[in-house]
Amino acid sequence: MRILFINNDGGGFADYVDVTPDMTVDKFFAQKLPGREAGDFLIRVNRQPVARDYVLQDGDRITCTPVKIEGAAV
Amino acid sequence: MQARPSPVLRFSPTAWAKLLFFRDHKGTEVGGFGVTSANDLLRVDDFLTVKQEVTVASVVFDDQAVADFFETQVDAGGKPEQFARIWLHTHPGNSPQPSSTDEETFGRVFGGCQWAVMFVLAQGGKSYARLRFNVGPGGHVVIPAEVDFGAPFGPSQREAWEAEYKANVSAEHWGLGWNSREDLLGQTDLARCSVPGDWLEELEAMEPAERRLVMDELAVRPDLWDETAEVVYDD
Repeated sequence: MRILFINNDGGGFADYVDVTPDMTVDKFFAQKLPGREAGDFLIRVNRQPVARDYVLQDGDRITCTPVKIEGAAV
Repeated sequence: MQARPSPVLRFSPTAWAKLLFFRDHKGTEVGGFGVTSANDLLRVDDFLTVKQEVTVASVVFDDQAVADFFETQVDAGGKPEQFARIWLHTHPGNSPQPSSTDEETFGRVFGGCQWAVMFVLAQGGKSYARLRFNVGPGGHVVIPAEVDFGAPFGPSQREAWEAEYKANVSAEHWGLGWNSREDLLGQTDLARCSVPGDWLEELEAMEPAERRLVMDELAVRPDLWDETAEVVYDD
């Protein structure tokens, strides 16, 4: 089963990956972004927020993008 | 053996003009991403914004808009290293030195990337660029930034930039209502022009540098009040 994975960590990624049929979002995140906090990312599947136990489907697009990008002068 | 040239962050003249336009449009902070070609990852060909909330001293990107930006860029054939590694934002005043908030964001958001650049452009014209490496032993290096006139570049697109600004940048009106948020280009509502009772208390509670920024902003924004109007007090 193949899904499109998009994220900016490491070398950055925007490509298809193979996953097992029972792969949930939280297991996928732990595999692909080990050591990273899920709370630091907005995780969407097919442009929609999903529950952590959502089971990925063939052809899904999962994006893990950073949250709370903010700057300040002081 | 020749030494490798030191890295330099370069901007196309068009991208630089757009960044200046956004910085100067309403005098608030503003931020976005530098977009590059695949074969020159330190030459910013475009400055793209996402929906964000800004004040004279802060900018916060909308999380959903960041995700939409990633998806749109990938759909257009871009790779994350081309559109999500150069974080650009502006500062009021003359100091481009990163704040603790800037450093926290740079570490948390970009610390997992192989490399990233934080670029700050101050209102007064000074800039700061720092390249961080997160591979091998890792490290940071402050790098120069310049406008690159050595390659073809496009024209100014002020109408499109203004439309992008209007679509993406929402500001708190520090001079009208302390907690109000609205599009800077929107109409003001006179009913909102009263100063909240706790305004002075909030001002007094600020750090001196932040308070100074607010006062400086008010001082250079005569459009926030009518200096010629008479004040009438009712008994």
